[in-house]
Amino acid sequence: MPPTLLSVAVGVLLGVGLLGAAFDRRSLAVVALAAGLPDADAILAVLGVGAANASLHSAFVAVGAAGLLYYETERRERSWLRAQSGWYGVRVAWVAVAAYAVAGIGLDLFSTDAVALLYPLSDRYYAVVGKLVVSTQEGLVQTYVDIGEGWLGLASPGTVESHTVGSWWTPAGEERRLRLIESGWQAIVVLTAAAAIPAKGLVERGDR
Amino acid sequence: MPTSTVHAAVAFLVAVGLLGEYYDRRALAIILGIVLFPELDTALGLVMDGAHRTVFHTLFTSVVAAGVVYWDTSREGSWIRGRWGAAGVRLAWVGVFVHTFAHLGLDWAHLSGINIAWPLVDQFFSLDGELYYSATEGVVQTFVDVAVDPETGRQQVDAGGGGTTATTHVSSPVQPSKEPSEGPVDRRFPIAVGGWQLYFLVVGAFTLLARRVQSTPKGTKES
Repeated sequence: MPPTLLSVAVGVLLGVGLLGAAFDRRSLAVVALAAGLPDADAILAVLGVGAANASLHSAFVAVGAAGLLYYETERRERSWLRAQSGWYGVRVAWVAVAAYAVAGIGLDLFSTDAVALLYPLSDRYYAVVGKLVVSTQEGLVQTYVDIGEGWLGLASPGTVESHTVGSWWTPAGEERRLRLIESGWQAIVVLTAAAAIPAKGLVERGDR
Repeated sequence: MPTSTVHAAVAFLVAVGLLGEYYDRRALAIILGIVLFPELDTALGLVMDGAHRTVFHTLFTSVVAAGVVYWDTSREGSWIRGRWGAAGVRLAWVGVFVHTFAHLGLDWAHLSGINIAWPLVDQFFSLDGELYYSATEGVVQTFVDVAVDPETGRQQVDAGGGGTTATTHVSSPVQPSKEPSEGPVDRRFPIAVGGWQLYFLVVGAFTLLARRVQSTPKGTKES
């Protein structure tokens, strides 16, 4: 998986953007935690449950959480969450689900480490990698998905049996490594997230 | 540049939150203008060697802009505040933030980087490396190499320094290569290169969409 730090950074950016009036230190921490949570499936893998980038990176987890939240807050006669913390709680919960799906699962899906998106129905890993370029000589060039007749194909490095996603708990090489930042752009994203938190406080307070 | 679309997407992602209550379509359009503006130095590349990633990509643009906005908004009779009110002040600060991080920052980490301290120092710098904690080596970072020259004993710091305006050409659709080539020129307008760039296009769009469907109860100030 791309570093958990990066997922948390994107989660923070989503939190700054979408929490709105519910933005405070506590809500931002919840959203950042939700963004990093999917990567805990590497720990579960060590315990013999599922595999890294599979069990908690499954789209079913995110869809299930969203469905449950919708039912709890909109369909039930008396919503527990609304009774507990009102509008604030509902907003934080939705942004946390979004961070889980977009920053936690999505980020890994768009990397070569790949995600078993349909686990446990299918244990194949999928990755959206490629490029999209408009060339004056070749026209529109797109290599993210193979467009066949009536189906879309994504790149796949293998299945749970054949592909191991390297992490601290499931080392792919010989030594254990906790990857924090893998490249320049990731450093910039982490820096941007780190700067956005105080910036949000500054612009709100000083109205600058 | 990582593509302009990526700059714009990251800018939107950041701006939605920082604009807060002043977020609207017009503010977003201005942010888009600010984040795309530095690419105008590609056009200067036709008359000045190595202008792209130099003239409007130096960190001085951020420093000067921040200084001007700070000076104007903290004095009596501020021009920005008088003309556009608090919304203008907020927009100005968000503009500086977006320009620095979503444009200069991302370009710093891309290809030959940016001419970060031009015109004081004419050298391109690119940010590249990794940071990890290894069970055997401890914390390792390769962004800045500090090495001691074995012959002279002098300490050398390599922070990804590259060539100067004379030797560096960062390709762009306006000027694919420094010297005009024979035959039909292939001008490429990348929209996204690599999984992560497409990812940020998706995230930027998602943020704008999510912000649209969000509802705020009456009496709660959206900030």
